[in-house]
Amino acid sequence: MKKRFKVNLNKSKALQGLLSIIPVIILLLFIRLYPMVAAIYRSFTNWDGLYKNDWVGLKNYIDIFTNSPFWTLLRNNMVLLISVPLQVIIGLFVAVLLYEEVAGWRFFRALIYIPQIISAVTIGFLFRIAFGLDGPINLILRKIGLGFLAVEWLGNAPTALFVLVLCLTWFSIGWQAIVILGGMSKIPPSVFEAARLDGANFWQRTFRIVVPMISRTLEYAIIMSMVWTFTSVFAFIYSLTNGGPGYETTTIDYMIYIKFYQSSAPYGSACALAVILLIIITIFTIIEMRFANKASEWE
Amino acid sequence: MDTYKKQIISNQRISKYAIFIILVLLITSFLYPLFFMFLNSVKSHVDYLKNPFSLHITKFEWSNYLTMISQFKIFSLFRNTLIISILTIIFILAIGIIASYSFAKLKFKGKNVILFLILSTMFIPVQVTIIPIYMLFSKLHMVNTYWAVILTYTAMFIPEAILLMTSTFRGIPDELIEAAELDGAGYFDVIRYIIIPMGRSAIILTIIFYFIVTWNDLFTPMVLLQDMEKRTVMVALASLISRYTGDPTFQFAGLVLAAIPAILVYAFFQRFIIKGIGEGSSKV
Repeated sequence: MKKRFKVNLNKSKALQGLLSIIPVIILLLFIRLYPMVAAIYRSFTNWDGLYKNDWVGLKNYIDIFTNSPFWTLLRNNMVLLISVPLQVIIGLFVAVLLYEEVAGWRFFRALIYIPQIISAVTIGFLFRIAFGLDGPINLILRKIGLGFLAVEWLGNAPTALFVLVLCLTWFSIGWQAIVILGGMSKIPPSVFEAARLDGANFWQRTFRIVVPMISRTLEYAIIMSMVWTFTSVFAFIYSLTNGGPGYETTTIDYMIYIKFYQSSAPYGSACALAVILLIIITIFTIIEMRFANKASEWE
Repeated sequence: MDTYKKQIISNQRISKYAIFIILVLLITSFLYPLFFMFLNSVKSHVDYLKNPFSLHITKFEWSNYLTMISQFKIFSLFRNTLIISILTIIFILAIGIIASYSFAKLKFKGKNVILFLILSTMFIPVQVTIIPIYMLFSKLHMVNTYWAVILTYTAMFIPEAILLMTSTFRGIPDELIEAAELDGAGYFDVIRYIIIPMGRSAIILTIIFYFIVTWNDLFTPMVLLQDMEKRTVMVALASLISRYTGDPTFQFAGLVLAAIPAILVYAFFQRFIIKGIGEGSSKV
Protein backbone atom coordinates (compact mmCIF):
# COMPACT_ATOMS: atom_id res chain seq x y z
CA MET A 1 0.00 0.00 0.00
CA LYS A 2 2.71 2.37 1.02
CA LYS A 3 4.89 1.42 -1.91
CA ARG A 4 2.08 2.08 -4.31
CA PHE A 5 1.59 5.51 -2.83
CA LYS A 6 5.24 6.26 -3.38
CA VAL A 7 5.08 5.14 -7.02
CA ASN A 8 2.08 7.38 -7.60
CA LEU A 9 3.88 10.25 -5.95
CA ASN A 10 6.92 9.74 -8.17
CA LYS A 11 4.70 9.63 -11.22
CA SER A 12 2.93 12.84 -10.33
CA LYS A 13 6.30 14.47 -9.63
CA ALA A 14 7.55 13.41 -13.06
CA LEU A 15 4.42 14.90 -14.59
CA GLN A 16 4.95 18.13 -12.66
CA GLY A 17 8.53 18.17 -13.86
CA LEU A 18 7.51 17.83 -17.50
CA LEU A 19 4.70 20.38 -17.27
CA SER A 20 7.07 22.89 -15.66
CA ILE A 21 9.42 22.94 -18.61
CA ILE A 22 6.76 23.11 -21.33
CA PRO A 23 6.63 26.95 -21.44
CA VAL A 24 10.37 27.33 -21.92
CA ILE A 25 10.43 24.59 -24.53
CA ILE A 26 7.60 26.16 -26.55
CA LEU A 27 9.28 29.56 -26.36
CA LEU A 28 12.64 28.22 -27.51
CA LEU A 29 11.07 26.16 -30.30
CA PHE A 30 9.33 29.22 -31.77
CA ILE A 31 11.84 31.99 -31.14
CA ARG A 32 15.18 30.16 -31.33
CA LEU A 33 14.94 26.79 -33.05
CA TYR A 34 12.41 27.60 -35.78
CA PRO A 35 14.23 30.79 -36.90
CA MET A 36 17.55 28.94 -36.92
CA VAL A 37 16.17 26.12 -39.08
CA ALA A 38 14.43 28.71 -41.28
CA ALA A 39 17.70 30.59 -41.71
CA ILE A 40 19.48 27.40 -42.75
CA TYR A 41 16.74 26.52 -45.26
CA ARG A 42 16.47 30.06 -46.67
CA SER A 43 20.23 30.21 -47.15
CA PHE A 44 19.72 27.90 -50.15
CA THR A 45 17.08 30.18 -51.71
CA ASN A 46 16.90 33.62 -53.31
CA TRP A 47 14.40 34.72 -50.63
CA ASP A 48 13.65 38.44 -50.47
CA GLY A 49 10.97 38.27 -47.80
CA LEU A 50 8.15 38.88 -50.27
CA TYR A 51 7.91 37.25 -53.68
CA LYS A 52 11.07 35.38 -54.46
CA ASN A 53 11.69 32.14 -52.68
CA ASP A 54 13.25 29.71 -55.17
CA TRP A 55 15.78 27.04 -54.44
CA VAL A 56 19.18 28.14 -55.75
CA GLY A 57 21.38 25.48 -54.20
CA LEU A 58 24.79 26.68 -53.09
CA LYS A 59 24.66 29.87 -55.16
CA ASN A 60 24.53 32.19 -52.11
CA TYR A 61 27.51 30.49 -50.55
CA ILE A 62 29.53 30.52 -53.78
CA ASP A 63 28.73 34.21 -54.25
CA ILE A 64 29.80 34.97 -50.70
CA PHE A 65 33.10 33.16 -51.03
CA THR A 66 33.99 34.43 -54.50
CA ASN A 67 32.23 37.69 -55.15
CA SER A 68 31.67 39.60 -51.93
CA PRO A 69 33.68 41.34 -49.22
CA PHE A 70 33.38 38.15 -47.13
CA TRP A 71 37.13 37.72 -46.68
CA THR A 72 37.38 41.31 -45.45
CA LEU A 73 34.60 40.57 -42.95
CA LEU A 74 36.34 37.43 -41.74
CA ARG A 75 39.63 39.29 -41.47
CA ASN A 76 37.94 41.93 -39.33
CA ASN A 77 36.45 39.27 -37.05
CA MET A 78 39.90 37.72 -36.67
CA VAL A 79 41.57 41.06 -35.96
CA LEU A 80 39.02 41.84 -33.26
CA LEU A 81 39.95 38.52 -31.61
CA ILE A 82 43.33 40.13 -30.78
CA SER A 83 41.44 41.87 -28.00
CA VAL A 84 40.83 38.52 -26.23
CA PRO A 85 44.42 37.78 -25.10
CA LEU A 86 44.85 41.46 -24.18
CA GLN A 87 41.73 41.41 -22.02
CA VAL A 88 42.64 38.17 -20.34
CA ILE A 89 46.23 39.16 -19.54
CA ILE A 90 45.35 42.61 -18.21
CA GLY A 91 42.32 41.18 -16.41
CA LEU A 92 44.57 38.56 -14.81
CA PHE A 93 47.00 41.20 -13.55
CA VAL A 94 44.18 43.31 -12.20
CA ALA A 95 42.64 40.28 -10.49
CA VAL A 96 45.93 39.36 -8.80
CA LEU A 97 46.44 42.99 -7.77
CA LEU A 98 42.96 43.10 -6.29
CA TYR A 99 43.56 39.77 -4.57
CA GLU A 100 46.51 41.28 -2.75
CA GLU A 101 43.79 43.22 -0.98
CA VAL A 102 45.32 46.65 -0.87
CA ALA A 103 43.52 49.34 1.07
CA GLY A 104 40.14 49.92 -0.50
CA TRP A 105 40.18 46.83 -2.70
CA ARG A 106 36.40 46.41 -2.48
CA PHE A 107 36.04 49.92 -3.85
CA PHE A 108 38.45 49.19 -6.71
CA ARG A 109 36.67 45.93 -7.47
CA ALA A 110 33.36 47.75 -7.74
CA LEU A 111 34.80 50.45 -10.01
CA ILE A 112 36.66 48.08 -12.31
CA TYR A 113 33.34 46.63 -13.51
CA ILE A 114 31.79 50.00 -14.40
CA PRO A 115 32.48 49.93 -18.17
CA GLN A 116 30.25 46.84 -18.35
CA ILE A 117 27.36 48.85 -16.96
CA ILE A 118 27.64 51.54 -19.62
CA SER A 119 25.90 50.96 -22.92
CA ALA A 120 28.06 49.89 -25.86
CA VAL A 121 26.46 52.75 -27.80
CA THR A 122 27.94 55.25 -25.34
CA ILE A 123 31.35 53.60 -25.20
CA GLY A 124 31.65 53.39 -28.97
CA PHE A 125 30.68 57.06 -29.26
CA LEU A 126 33.23 58.11 -26.62
CA PHE A 127 35.98 56.30 -28.54
CA ARG A 128 34.79 57.85 -31.79
CA ILE A 129 35.01 61.32 -30.26
CA ALA A 130 38.35 60.55 -28.61
CA PHE A 131 39.96 59.35 -31.85
CA GLY A 132 38.39 61.96 -34.11
CA LEU A 133 40.66 63.97 -36.40
CA ASP A 134 40.59 66.93 -34.00
CA GLY A 135 39.63 64.80 -31.04
CA PRO A 136 41.26 64.66 -27.62
CA ILE A 137 43.81 61.96 -28.49
CA ASN A 138 45.16 63.89 -31.45
CA LEU A 139 45.12 67.12 -29.43
CA ILE A 140 47.35 65.47 -26.83
CA LEU A 141 49.63 63.90 -29.45
CA ARG A 142 50.15 67.28 -31.14
CA LYS A 143 50.81 68.99 -27.85
CA ILE A 144 53.51 66.56 -26.77
CA GLY A 145 55.26 66.82 -30.10
CA LEU A 146 54.06 63.56 -31.58
CA GLY A 147 51.98 65.35 -34.20
CA PHE A 148 53.04 62.88 -36.87
CA LEU A 149 51.04 60.23 -35.01
CA ALA A 150 47.90 62.34 -35.07
CA VAL A 151 46.36 60.57 -38.03
CA GLU A 152 42.76 60.18 -39.09
CA TRP A 153 42.33 57.10 -36.90
CA LEU A 154 38.91 56.05 -38.11
CA GLY A 155 39.64 56.80 -41.77
CA ASN A 156 41.94 53.84 -42.47
CA ALA A 157 41.43 50.14 -41.91
CA PRO A 158 44.50 49.36 -39.74
CA THR A 159 44.07 52.28 -37.33
CA ALA A 160 40.26 51.96 -37.22
CA LEU A 161 40.58 48.28 -36.33
CA PHE A 162 43.20 49.18 -33.75
CA VAL A 163 40.78 51.63 -32.10
CA LEU A 164 38.05 48.96 -32.13
CA VAL A 165 40.37 46.42 -30.49
CA LEU A 166 41.32 49.02 -27.89
CA CYS A 167 37.66 49.79 -27.23
CA LEU A 168 36.65 46.12 -26.79
CA THR A 169 39.64 45.51 -24.52
CA TRP A 170 38.85 48.55 -22.40
CA PHE A 171 35.24 47.42 -22.09
CA SER A 172 36.04 43.82 -21.13
CA ILE A 173 38.94 44.09 -18.65
CA GLY A 174 36.53 44.50 -15.74
CA TRP A 175 34.54 41.40 -16.65
CA GLN A 176 37.71 39.36 -17.03
CA ALA A 177 39.07 40.58 -13.69
CA ILE A 178 35.87 39.72 -11.83
CA VAL A 179 35.59 36.27 -13.45
CA ILE A 180 39.25 35.50 -12.68
CA LEU A 181 38.81 36.76 -9.10
CA GLY A 182 35.87 34.35 -8.81
CA GLY A 183 38.15 31.49 -9.88
CA MET A 184 40.90 32.65 -7.52
CA SER A 185 38.58 32.63 -4.52
CA LYS A 186 38.80 28.82 -4.67
CA ILE A 187 42.57 28.81 -4.19
CA PRO A 188 43.30 28.18 -0.50
CA PRO A 189 44.77 31.38 0.99
CA SER A 190 47.46 29.26 2.68
CA VAL A 191 49.00 28.62 -0.75
CA PHE A 192 49.48 32.36 -1.20
CA GLU A 193 50.82 32.78 2.33
CA ALA A 194 53.39 30.05 1.78
CA ALA A 195 54.49 31.49 -1.56
CA ARG A 196 54.82 34.95 -0.07
CA LEU A 197 56.90 33.72 2.87
CA ASP A 198 59.16 31.92 0.41
CA GLY A 199 59.71 35.27 -1.24
CA ALA A 200 57.81 34.65 -4.48
CA ASN A 201 57.39 37.97 -6.27
CA PHE A 202 54.34 39.27 -8.12
CA TRP A 203 55.22 37.60 -11.45
CA GLN A 204 56.00 34.28 -9.83
CA ARG A 205 52.79 34.37 -7.82
CA THR A 206 50.81 35.19 -10.97
CA PHE A 207 52.28 32.68 -13.38
CA ARG A 208 53.45 29.85 -11.10
CA ILE A 209 50.50 29.76 -8.71
CA VAL A 210 47.43 31.54 -10.02
CA VAL A 211 47.50 30.56 -13.69
CA PRO A 212 47.92 26.78 -13.16
CA MET A 213 45.34 26.73 -10.39
CA ILE A 214 42.60 28.53 -12.30
CA SER A 215 43.16 26.99 -15.74
CA ARG A 216 39.48 26.01 -15.94
CA THR A 217 38.34 29.57 -15.21
CA LEU A 218 40.79 30.97 -17.78
CA GLU A 219 39.45 28.61 -20.44
CA TYR A 220 35.92 29.70 -19.64
CA ALA A 221 36.93 33.37 -19.81
CA ILE A 222 38.77 32.92 -23.11
CA ILE A 223 36.08 30.97 -24.91
CA MET A 224 33.25 33.19 -23.67
CA SER A 225 35.02 36.33 -24.80
CA MET A 226 35.85 34.77 -28.17
CA VAL A 227 32.21 33.90 -28.78
CA TRP A 228 31.26 37.35 -27.48
CA THR A 229 33.64 39.01 -29.92
CA PHE A 230 31.97 37.18 -32.81
CA THR A 231 28.40 37.88 -31.76
CA SER A 232 28.02 40.89 -29.48
CA VAL A 233 30.06 43.77 -30.85
CA PHE A 234 27.35 45.17 -33.11
CA ALA A 235 26.65 48.28 -31.03
CA PHE A 236 30.35 49.12 -30.65
CA ILE A 237 30.91 49.00 -34.40
CA TYR A 238 27.67 50.86 -35.08
CA SER A 239 28.57 53.85 -32.95
CA LEU A 240 32.34 53.80 -33.48
CA THR A 241 32.92 53.25 -37.19
CA ASN A 242 29.56 52.22 -38.63
CA GLY A 243 31.48 49.45 -40.40
CA GLY A 244 33.47 51.93 -42.47
CA PRO A 245 35.40 53.14 -44.28
CA GLY A 246 33.72 50.95 -46.90
CA TYR A 247 33.53 47.49 -45.35
CA GLU A 248 36.92 47.84 -43.70
CA THR A 249 35.60 47.42 -40.14
CA THR A 250 32.44 45.45 -40.94
CA THR A 251 32.20 42.02 -39.32
CA ILE A 252 30.10 39.03 -40.38
CA ASP A 253 27.31 39.75 -37.92
CA TYR A 254 27.30 43.44 -38.87
CA MET A 255 26.96 42.49 -42.54
CA ILE A 256 23.78 40.54 -41.77
CA TYR A 257 22.34 43.76 -40.38
CA ILE A 258 23.46 45.74 -43.45
CA LYS A 259 21.87 43.21 -45.81
CA PHE A 260 18.65 43.34 -43.82
CA TYR A 261 18.28 47.03 -44.72
CA GLN A 262 19.42 46.83 -48.35
CA SER A 263 16.63 47.77 -50.71
CA SER A 264 17.07 44.63 -52.83
CA ALA A 265 16.43 42.61 -49.64
CA PRO A 266 19.00 39.84 -50.23
CA TYR A 267 17.65 37.81 -47.31
CA GLY A 268 18.69 34.46 -48.76
CA SER A 269 22.27 35.66 -48.96
CA ALA A 270 22.03 37.19 -45.45
CA CYS A 271 20.85 33.81 -44.16
CA ALA A 272 23.86 32.13 -45.79
CA LEU A 273 26.12 34.54 -43.89
CA ALA A 274 24.16 33.70 -40.74
CA VAL A 275 24.80 29.99 -41.30
CA ILE A 276 28.53 30.62 -41.76
CA LEU A 277 28.55 32.57 -38.48
CA LEU A 278 26.66 29.74 -36.79
CA ILE A 279 29.22 27.20 -38.03
CA ILE A 280 32.10 29.31 -36.68
CA ILE A 281 30.42 29.60 -33.27
CA THR A 282 29.68 25.87 -33.21
CA ILE A 283 33.31 25.05 -33.89
CA PHE A 284 34.38 27.29 -31.00
CA THR A 285 31.86 25.68 -28.69
CA ILE A 286 32.97 22.15 -29.61
CA ILE A 287 36.62 23.03 -29.06
CA GLU A 288 35.63 24.44 -25.67
CA MET A 289 33.87 21.20 -24.74
CA ARG A 290 36.89 19.14 -25.81
CA PHE A 291 39.06 21.33 -23.62
CA ALA A 292 36.65 21.06 -20.71
CA ASN A 293 36.59 17.26 -20.94
CA LYS A 294 40.36 17.08 -21.08
CA ALA A 295 40.66 19.40 -18.11
CA SER A 296 38.33 17.26 -16.04
CA GLU A 297 40.33 14.15 -17.02
CA TRP A 298 43.50 15.72 -15.72
CA GLU A 299 41.99 16.69 -12.41
CA MET B 1 68.47 34.99 7.71
CA ASP B 2 66.83 37.73 9.70
CA THR B 3 67.92 40.45 7.31
CA TYR B 4 66.66 38.30 4.43
CA LYS B 5 63.21 38.21 5.98
CA LYS B 6 63.29 41.93 6.63
CA GLN B 7 64.26 42.46 3.02
CA ILE B 8 61.23 40.47 1.87
CA ILE B 9 58.89 42.38 4.13
CA SER B 10 60.18 45.76 2.97
CA ASN B 11 59.97 44.58 -0.63
CA GLN B 12 56.41 43.64 -0.01
CA ARG B 13 55.69 47.05 1.44
CA ILE B 14 57.09 48.71 -1.67
CA SER B 15 55.11 46.42 -3.95
CA LYS B 16 51.99 47.24 -1.97
CA TYR B 17 52.38 50.93 -2.83
CA ALA B 18 53.17 50.06 -6.42
CA ILE B 19 50.02 47.98 -6.65
CA PHE B 20 47.97 50.78 -5.19
CA ILE B 21 49.31 53.25 -7.74
CA ILE B 22 48.76 50.89 -10.66
CA LEU B 23 45.17 50.29 -9.58
CA VAL B 24 44.52 54.00 -9.22
CA LEU B 25 45.89 54.61 -12.73
CA LEU B 26 43.75 51.82 -14.19
CA ILE B 27 40.60 53.01 -12.48
CA THR B 28 41.32 56.54 -13.69
CA SER B 29 41.50 55.29 -17.26
CA PHE B 30 38.10 53.65 -16.72
CA LEU B 31 36.40 56.58 -15.09
CA TYR B 32 37.96 59.53 -16.88
CA PRO B 33 36.02 59.00 -20.14
CA LEU B 34 32.78 59.05 -18.17
CA PHE B 35 33.84 62.19 -16.37
CA PHE B 36 34.88 63.69 -19.71
CA MET B 37 31.42 62.95 -21.06
CA PHE B 38 29.69 64.60 -18.12
CA LEU B 39 32.07 67.58 -18.08
CA ASN B 40 31.44 68.39 -21.71
CA SER B 41 27.71 67.80 -21.52
CA VAL B 42 27.41 70.95 -19.39
CA LYS B 43 29.68 73.03 -21.61
CA SER B 44 28.57 75.19 -24.47
CA HIS B 45 29.60 74.04 -27.94
CA VAL B 46 32.11 76.90 -28.14
CA ASP B 47 33.77 75.97 -24.85
CA TYR B 48 33.93 72.37 -25.98
CA LEU B 49 35.66 73.25 -29.23
CA LYS B 50 38.10 75.54 -27.44
CA ASN B 51 39.37 72.90 -25.04
CA PRO B 52 37.42 69.73 -24.21
CA PHE B 53 39.73 68.96 -21.27
CA SER B 54 39.44 72.28 -19.53
CA LEU B 55 37.76 72.09 -16.15
CA HIS B 56 36.99 75.77 -16.40
CA ILE B 57 33.42 76.25 -17.49
CA THR B 58 32.55 79.84 -18.35
CA LYS B 59 28.86 79.11 -18.00
CA PHE B 60 27.06 75.90 -17.09
CA GLU B 61 25.04 74.99 -20.12
CA TRP B 62 22.08 73.04 -18.74
CA SER B 63 20.17 73.77 -21.93
CA ASN B 64 21.58 70.54 -23.40
CA TYR B 65 19.72 68.62 -20.74
CA LEU B 66 16.57 70.70 -21.05
CA THR B 67 16.47 70.13 -24.81
CA MET B 68 17.03 66.40 -24.24
CA ILE B 69 14.00 66.33 -21.98
CA SER B 70 11.63 68.70 -23.78
CA GLN B 71 12.52 68.21 -27.47
CA PHE B 72 14.11 64.79 -27.62
CA LYS B 73 11.54 63.50 -25.10
CA ILE B 74 14.09 61.24 -23.48
CA PHE B 75 11.78 60.30 -20.62
CA SER B 76 9.21 58.81 -22.94
CA LEU B 77 12.06 56.78 -24.43
CA PHE B 78 12.92 55.74 -20.87
CA ARG B 79 9.34 54.58 -20.45
CA ASN B 80 9.49 52.44 -23.61
CA THR B 81 12.71 50.80 -22.46
CA LEU B 82 11.35 50.27 -18.94
CA ILE B 83 8.24 48.52 -20.24
CA ILE B 84 10.39 46.15 -22.27
CA SER B 85 12.91 45.56 -19.46
CA ILE B 86 10.33 44.90 -16.76
CA LEU B 87 8.11 42.62 -18.84
CA THR B 88 11.16 40.69 -20.06
CA ILE B 89 12.28 40.16 -16.48
CA ILE B 90 8.79 39.05 -15.41
CA PHE B 91 8.66 36.55 -18.27
CA ILE B 92 12.14 35.22 -17.55
CA LEU B 93 11.24 34.72 -13.89
CA ALA B 94 7.78 33.24 -14.51
CA ILE B 95 9.02 30.70 -17.03
CA GLY B 96 12.50 30.31 -15.59
CA ILE B 97 11.66 29.65 -11.94
CA ILE B 98 9.32 26.71 -12.61
CA ALA B 99 11.69 25.24 -15.20
CA SER B 100 14.68 25.60 -12.87
CA TYR B 101 12.71 24.03 -10.00
CA SER B 102 11.91 21.14 -12.28
CA PHE B 103 15.52 20.69 -13.41
CA ALA B 104 16.88 21.04 -9.89
CA LYS B 105 14.43 19.03 -7.83
CA LEU B 106 12.02 16.88 -9.87
CA LYS B 107 12.91 13.59 -11.52
CA PHE B 108 11.74 12.65 -14.98
CA LYS B 109 13.06 10.85 -18.02
CA GLY B 110 15.43 12.69 -20.33
CA LYS B 111 15.85 15.59 -17.93
CA ASN B 112 19.57 16.05 -18.45
CA VAL B 113 19.32 15.83 -22.22
CA ILE B 114 16.59 18.48 -22.29
CA LEU B 115 18.58 20.75 -19.99
CA PHE B 116 21.62 20.34 -22.21
CA LEU B 117 19.61 21.22 -25.32
CA ILE B 118 18.09 24.27 -23.65
CA LEU B 119 21.49 25.50 -22.52
CA SER B 120 23.04 24.95 -25.93
CA THR B 121 20.60 27.43 -27.51
CA MET B 122 22.58 30.04 -25.57
CA PHE B 123 25.19 29.87 -28.32
CA ILE B 124 22.86 30.70 -31.21
CA PRO B 125 23.72 34.33 -32.02
CA VAL B 126 20.70 36.59 -32.34
CA GLN B 127 21.99 37.88 -35.69
CA VAL B 128 21.65 34.35 -37.11
CA THR B 129 17.94 34.22 -36.34
CA ILE B 130 16.94 37.86 -36.67
CA ILE B 131 15.61 37.87 -40.24
CA PRO B 132 13.37 34.80 -39.79
CA ILE B 133 12.23 36.24 -36.44
CA TYR B 134 11.38 39.53 -38.11
CA MET B 135 9.39 37.68 -40.78
CA LEU B 136 7.65 35.53 -38.17
CA PHE B 137 6.56 38.58 -36.17
CA SER B 138 5.54 40.47 -39.29
CA LYS B 139 3.25 37.55 -40.25
CA LEU B 140 1.75 37.72 -36.76
CA HIS B 141 1.44 41.53 -37.08
CA MET B 142 3.74 41.91 -34.09
CA VAL B 143 6.58 43.89 -35.65
CA ASN B 144 6.73 47.32 -34.02
CA THR B 145 5.15 45.99 -30.85
CA TYR B 146 6.93 45.67 -27.53
CA TRP B 147 5.95 41.99 -27.48
CA ALA B 148 8.25 41.17 -30.39
CA VAL B 149 11.26 42.48 -28.44
CA ILE B 150 10.10 41.03 -25.11
CA LEU B 151 9.59 37.51 -26.50
CA THR B 152 12.90 37.61 -28.37
CA TYR B 153 14.75 38.80 -25.26
CA THR B 154 13.09 36.19 -23.06
CA ALA B 155 14.08 33.39 -25.44
CA MET B 156 17.62 34.76 -25.76
CA PHE B 157 18.28 35.14 -22.05
CA ILE B 158 16.32 32.30 -20.48
CA PRO B 159 18.93 29.54 -20.90
CA GLU B 160 21.47 31.53 -18.92
CA ALA B 161 18.87 32.42 -16.28
CA ILE B 162 17.92 28.73 -15.98
CA LEU B 163 21.58 27.78 -15.64
CA LEU B 164 21.99 30.26 -12.80
CA MET B 165 18.75 29.45 -10.98
CA THR B 166 19.00 25.67 -11.38
CA SER B 167 22.41 25.57 -9.77
CA THR B 168 21.19 27.72 -6.87
CA PHE B 169 17.95 25.74 -6.42
CA ARG B 170 19.97 22.50 -6.28
CA GLY B 171 21.42 23.74 -2.99
CA ILE B 172 17.99 23.86 -1.32
CA PRO B 173 17.70 20.80 0.98
CA ASP B 174 15.27 18.11 -0.26
CA GLU B 175 14.09 17.49 3.30
CA LEU B 176 12.60 20.95 3.44
CA ILE B 177 10.49 20.32 0.35
CA GLU B 178 9.47 16.83 1.55
CA ALA B 179 8.45 18.16 4.95
CA ALA B 180 6.34 20.87 3.34
CA GLU B 181 4.69 18.32 1.07
CA LEU B 182 3.89 16.06 4.05
CA ASP B 183 2.16 19.07 5.55
CA GLY B 184 0.04 19.21 2.43
CA ALA B 185 1.87 21.89 0.43
CA GLY B 186 1.10 21.67 -3.28
CA TYR B 187 3.30 22.49 -6.27
CA PHE B 188 2.78 26.24 -6.13
CA ASP B 189 3.09 26.33 -2.32
CA VAL B 190 6.54 24.74 -2.59
CA ILE B 191 7.59 27.33 -5.15
CA ARG B 192 6.05 30.24 -3.26
CA TYR B 193 7.22 29.35 0.26
CA ILE B 194 10.44 27.40 -0.28
CA ILE B 195 12.00 27.81 -3.72
CA ILE B 196 11.57 31.56 -4.14
CA PRO B 197 12.67 32.61 -0.62
CA MET B 198 15.60 30.18 -0.52
CA GLY B 199 16.73 30.83 -4.08
CA ARG B 200 16.36 34.58 -3.83
CA SER B 201 20.05 35.34 -4.39
CA ALA B 202 19.80 33.89 -7.92
CA ILE B 203 16.45 35.57 -8.53
CA ILE B 204 17.71 39.00 -7.46
CA LEU B 205 20.80 38.58 -9.62
CA THR B 206 18.62 37.66 -12.60
CA ILE B 207 16.50 40.78 -12.12
CA ILE B 208 19.45 43.16 -11.80
CA PHE B 209 21.55 41.59 -14.52
CA TYR B 210 18.84 41.49 -17.17
CA PHE B 211 17.69 44.97 -16.30
CA ILE B 212 21.14 46.28 -17.14
CA VAL B 213 21.46 44.09 -20.24
CA THR B 214 18.08 45.00 -21.71
CA TRP B 215 18.49 48.66 -20.83
CA ASN B 216 21.74 48.86 -22.78
CA ASP B 217 20.96 46.56 -25.71
CA LEU B 218 20.78 47.95 -29.22
CA PHE B 219 20.51 45.26 -31.90
CA THR B 220 17.18 43.53 -31.24
CA PRO B 221 15.02 46.62 -30.63
CA MET B 222 16.71 48.42 -33.51
CA VAL B 223 15.47 45.76 -35.94
CA LEU B 224 12.11 44.91 -34.39
CA LEU B 225 10.96 48.39 -33.25
CA GLN B 226 11.26 50.95 -36.04
CA ASP B 227 8.26 53.01 -34.95
CA MET B 228 9.57 56.38 -33.70
CA GLU B 229 7.07 56.40 -30.83
CA LYS B 230 8.13 52.99 -29.55
CA ARG B 231 11.91 53.16 -29.87
CA THR B 232 14.02 52.32 -26.86
CA VAL B 233 16.38 54.92 -25.46
CA MET B 234 19.51 53.27 -26.89
CA VAL B 235 18.00 52.98 -30.38
CA ALA B 236 17.05 56.67 -30.33
CA LEU B 237 20.46 57.74 -29.04
CA ALA B 238 22.25 55.52 -31.56
CA SER B 239 20.45 57.26 -34.39
CA LEU B 240 21.15 60.66 -32.80
CA ILE B 241 24.89 60.05 -32.55
CA SER B 242 25.16 58.51 -36.00
CA ARG B 243 24.59 61.98 -37.41
CA TYR B 244 28.16 63.21 -37.67
CA THR B 245 27.09 66.81 -37.88
CA GLY B 246 25.50 66.87 -34.45
CA ASP B 247 26.70 68.89 -31.48
CA PRO B 248 28.69 66.51 -29.24
CA THR B 249 27.77 68.38 -26.04
CA PHE B 250 24.08 67.73 -26.73
CA GLN B 251 24.78 64.09 -27.59
CA PHE B 252 26.80 63.71 -24.39
CA ALA B 253 23.87 65.03 -22.36
CA GLY B 254 21.60 62.30 -23.74
CA LEU B 255 24.18 59.59 -23.13
CA VAL B 256 24.73 60.78 -19.55
CA LEU B 257 21.00 60.68 -18.83
CA ALA B 258 20.68 57.23 -20.39
CA ALA B 259 23.57 55.88 -18.32
CA ILE B 260 22.07 56.96 -14.98
CA PRO B 261 19.45 54.21 -14.43
CA ALA B 262 21.90 51.36 -15.03
CA ILE B 263 24.57 53.02 -12.90
CA LEU B 264 22.10 53.56 -10.04
CA VAL B 265 21.01 49.91 -10.15
CA TYR B 266 24.64 48.84 -10.18
CA ALA B 267 25.53 51.16 -7.30
CA PHE B 268 22.83 49.63 -5.11
CA PHE B 269 23.31 45.97 -6.04
CA GLN B 270 26.99 45.96 -6.91
CA ARG B 271 27.89 43.15 -4.48
CA PHE B 272 25.27 40.77 -5.92
CA ILE B 273 26.55 41.33 -9.43
CA ILE B 274 30.24 40.91 -8.61
CA LYS B 275 29.49 37.75 -6.65
CA GLY B 276 27.23 36.37 -9.38
CA ILE B 277 29.66 37.03 -12.25
CA GLY B 278 32.53 35.54 -10.26
CA GLU B 279 30.60 32.41 -9.36
CA GLY B 280 29.27 32.06 -12.90
CA SER B 281 32.67 30.96 -14.12
CA SER B 282 32.66 27.89 -11.90
CA LYS B 283 29.16 26.81 -12.83
CA VAL B 284 29.65 26.02 -16.48
